[in-house]
Amino acid sequence: MLVPVMLNGFGVRSVAKGSALVRSLQETAAMNSDRVLVIIYLGGGNDGLNTVIPVDQYSSYYNLRSNIAIPENSILKLSGQQEVGFHPVMTGMKNLFEEGKLAIINSVSYPNPDQSHYRSTDIWMTGTDASRFESTGWGGRYLNDRFSGYPTNYPNSGMEDPLAVQIGQISTPALLGSSQSVGITIQDPNSFYQLIGESSVDMNTDLPCCDAGDLLKFIREKQVLAVGYAAEIKAAADAGKNLGAYPDATAKNDLAEQLKIVARLIHGGLKSKIYFVELGGFDTHSTQVSNVVTEGVHAQLLKKLSDAISSFQNDLKLQGIEDKVLGMTFSDFGRRATSNASKGTDHGVAAPLFVFGKGIRRQMIGIRPDLTNGLLPANPAPGFNDRDIKMQIDFRRIYSDILTDWFGTPVEKSSQLLFRNFETTSLFSDTVKTLKSGVWHDPEVWSSGRVPSRLDKVHIRSGHLVQLANTAFAKDLKVESGAELQFLGKYDINIGG
Amino acid sequence: MAYLDTYTQPLTAATAAHLLRRATFGPTQQEIADFTGKTASQAVDILISNASYRATPPPPVEMDVARSDAGQPFLGKAFSGGRNAAYYNYIKCWWIGLMTEQTNRPSVVEKLTAFWQNHFVVTYSSVEDHRFVDSYLRFLRTNCLGSFKNMAIGITKEPGMLIFQNGNENEMGRPNENYARELQELFVVGARDFKGNANYTEQDVKAAARVLTGWQALNRYKEGSTSISSVFNSTRHDSSNKIFSEKYNNTTIVGRSSASAGDEELFDLISMLLAHQEAAKFICRKLYRWYVNPNVTDEIEDNVVGPLAQFFASSENNFLIAPVLRKLLSSQVFFENRNFAAQIKSPAELLIGTARIFNQQVPDITTEYGPFYKMTSFISNGLSLLQLNLLDQPSVFGSPAYYQTGYSKNWINESIIGQRGSKTDNFVYPFLEIKQGYVLGIDILARLRGIQPNFNDVAGTAPIDCEKVLAEFCRNLFALDFTQNQKDFLIDSIMMMKASPRSTWTKEWNAYRASPNEVQKQNTILWRCRALLKYLLRMAEYQVF
Repeated sequence: MLVPVMLNGFGVRSVAKGSALVRSLQETAAMNSDRVLVIIYLGGGNDGLNTVIPVDQYSSYYNLRSNIAIPENSILKLSGQQEVGFHPVMTGMKNLFEEGKLAIINSVSYPNPDQSHYRSTDIWMTGTDASRFESTGWGGRYLNDRFSGYPTNYPNSGMEDPLAVQIGQISTPALLGSSQSVGITIQDPNSFYQLIGESSVDMNTDLPCCDAGDLLKFIREKQVLAVGYAAEIKAAADAGKNLGAYPDATAKNDLAEQLKIVARLIHGGLKSKIYFVELGGFDTHSTQVSNVVTEGVHAQLLKKLSDAISSFQNDLKLQGIEDKVLGMTFSDFGRRATSNASKGTDHGVAAPLFVFGKGIRRQMIGIRPDLTNGLLPANPAPGFNDRDIKMQIDFRRIYSDILTDWFGTPVEKSSQLLFRNFETTSLFSDTVKTLKSGVWHDPEVWSSGRVPSRLDKVHIRSGHLVQLANTAFAKDLKVESGAELQFLGKYDINIGG
Repeated sequence: MAYLDTYTQPLTAATAAHLLRRATFGPTQQEIADFTGKTASQAVDILISNASYRATPPPPVEMDVARSDAGQPFLGKAFSGGRNAAYYNYIKCWWIGLMTEQTNRPSVVEKLTAFWQNHFVVTYSSVEDHRFVDSYLRFLRTNCLGSFKNMAIGITKEPGMLIFQNGNENEMGRPNENYARELQELFVVGARDFKGNANYTEQDVKAAARVLTGWQALNRYKEGSTSISSVFNSTRHDSSNKIFSEKYNNTTIVGRSSASAGDEELFDLISMLLAHQEAAKFICRKLYRWYVNPNVTDEIEDNVVGPLAQFFASSENNFLIAPVLRKLLSSQVFFENRNFAAQIKSPAELLIGTARIFNQQVPDITTEYGPFYKMTSFISNGLSLLQLNLLDQPSVFGSPAYYQTGYSKNWINESIIGQRGSKTDNFVYPFLEIKQGYVLGIDILARLRGIQPNFNDVAGTAPIDCEKVLAEFCRNLFALDFTQNQKDFLIDSIMMMKASPRSTWTKEWNAYRASPNEVQKQNTILWRCRALLKYLLRMAEYQVF
């Protein structure tokens, strides 16, 4: 659908075709131009196994971590989902899941995982291979590409608002663009405006050489951008309203406070594309549970997370902007499947991440971790107790789906921004594709990391041979030319459920 | 090896100021004058030997003037949870006082201690007991110039570190890997070499964790306790052999079980870590980033970090810190023009540096504890606002500006740039009364009277002009010189506010000379000079050093 773009009441068609204004408007009028991504960073490495608990393997779960295992009867069951349940404090996220607005991406990590907080977070934020070092963040690269030349000549008529906004203090590497962060970091829109006020920065001075010149240029750009954006941010904050309730101040829920500002700014019309917020404290080496195993540090953190996300989503719904906002969580790494003796967990490998919003098309990507046969090392030496959770989903596949399917970036461009092509997880699609040849009932054959259900349109891609050794289901089946579906016996595929 | 060769030219005001800005939290005018004409080696020797004057400063005291025990030292008292947070706060203020005081004995101690505090991080938020913070901070101050090897051994046993990095819970059969990892990754060896190759393996983390089993901290937050300490409990210690990877030449640390097993194996472990060829480079690279320039290029790695590390680890030096610091701070590379203004000031360099360059005196902690607290808590709160949390960094990595991509650029963003300005404004528009007769802030009128020859002779002696006023306020204030265009802009657009010719200033100044006690005349001078100073301290040029 093409909507005429109006600017101060004038249609852009009256402006000359090649003008910078038209070009910048065309750039911003990309397919999903008004969509927003909210990134929630859980600092320290969240313990996935006590967040999303594999209820169908409770005894294996318990044996790995008896001193911190959530009692079976306390786990929150999710209707329509038998594999996993939530930590008992996560009632808000349970409701979101049951409303179809929350997806669990199981066992997310990357090849050759690193267990240093700094390095692993850096890998997640820069979006690279573990062996590669990048100075730009994945969000920064995306926005730098979409709004070329930033920060020179920004804000401008095509984008009068910050490209990204971080609520916090120290800017995140995830938003680092080619020359500097594409995000504006603010603690609170009102104090931001008051502090910045008006200022005359003398930009036209020759810069000294070397690092000094680089630093002066950087600081002056920050001064100019701060002044340039202060009024826009304040205007959005004034125009926006929180319509839903958030945890009150006594809950000391920092994350909810941050998301409250985000909701207000989006509702107030700020056109920033990415918001970055964070909640720290997940590095639970010791006493992550208290004497009551369902309480303690980790329970408090998960409650904050769950309450904050559910309040935020409810606010967006009441504001009527639920369709244009997508959220995701991520953390440094997962924690070890085996607990330590200090009622804590040491650094591990894979963990679930959450994607939330109305835009998702499926709610489970991958299967819950296999605690019997799916742990690392696969065959531990005798007396060696430490087991890790194996990766199923490379986090960059989620990034790729967000760039491509949520923001509407062409696949080739997403691949370029992530340094190579990553297969879709079908998170935003009802079609499941084959990733490789194999047996139909092998989850690894499918883009969603799961065996197709009656709700899935199944697409067997050219070059792939899928063998059927059991009864299968699909909503629809497409076998590309050059692909093959082989029946290893007399089995049915029930199409159309 | 020109880079680390000694810089031999006598120090000018500019190079003396550069040295003092980097080696301390910022110079006073007097310190700059004292160093001018000395050689770099002489100046650095003074900075190092002055450490002895503050080896045992007076202890922190209760600073709440409303309390009956105000002014009394509290560190030996029986522990009480009720005053714990306040005492921690006083310890921090005590340290900030030492950073800020102006005794004309500039020393490397506090800046170097701050380096180690950001290196061997322990946070109050984790240990929650002010005595642990005090013990840790005193350990760092005492050892900051000594042997790095002793430091690495000692910090491992510090009660605060045992709590913060879970050594306290690390026992045989139930290892807690937290400290074993950070010891290698952040404290001694570094995660990777300059090219990005891993320096150790996960096996090494697990093996080191077992070496470190058995240590515990005593009396944390224990009501009524009068001391804290760490102990080694051999029954909690894993006495089997620990085998390391090829990264450490497949070293085996022989397991022991006696009462001294913990110390013996710890010694072996630190010796093994220091024998790793990357360890000395890791520390020297970090020192270079702290004192010279965060931007370490291949050229610097090869010509500065490598040779300095070789010296650091040499048998003659055996990991002593002071000789390495002396070499670095008196080197040619340190004084190279490209390394002036090559870092963004941390909040401490900004606020403490401003207090020092404008001679804002720190009241005596023992006799004037109330005013002392007013001043140091003002600075302390400012540091927190600007995201420097001394003794309580956001994580074991320290402040992001010392490790995150962009390094010192992380001190600045759109929001903080405004807050930094609002804090320096506090020195320009005085509001904080430290004590009767002392309001924190720059005494503009006294400063200008000081450069006006024959102040009272209005008719016979020419007034100081705008150029002289600007030059006086800028004296040693910036690490960079202004261009003529900038000076004109500062005078015409800021001081004269794009409204009046420069001659207006001389008339106003002479009017003040004629009636120095007339408030209206004073205010005219203050109005212009405060606008100018506010602008100067908010400039990008003032944010770098």
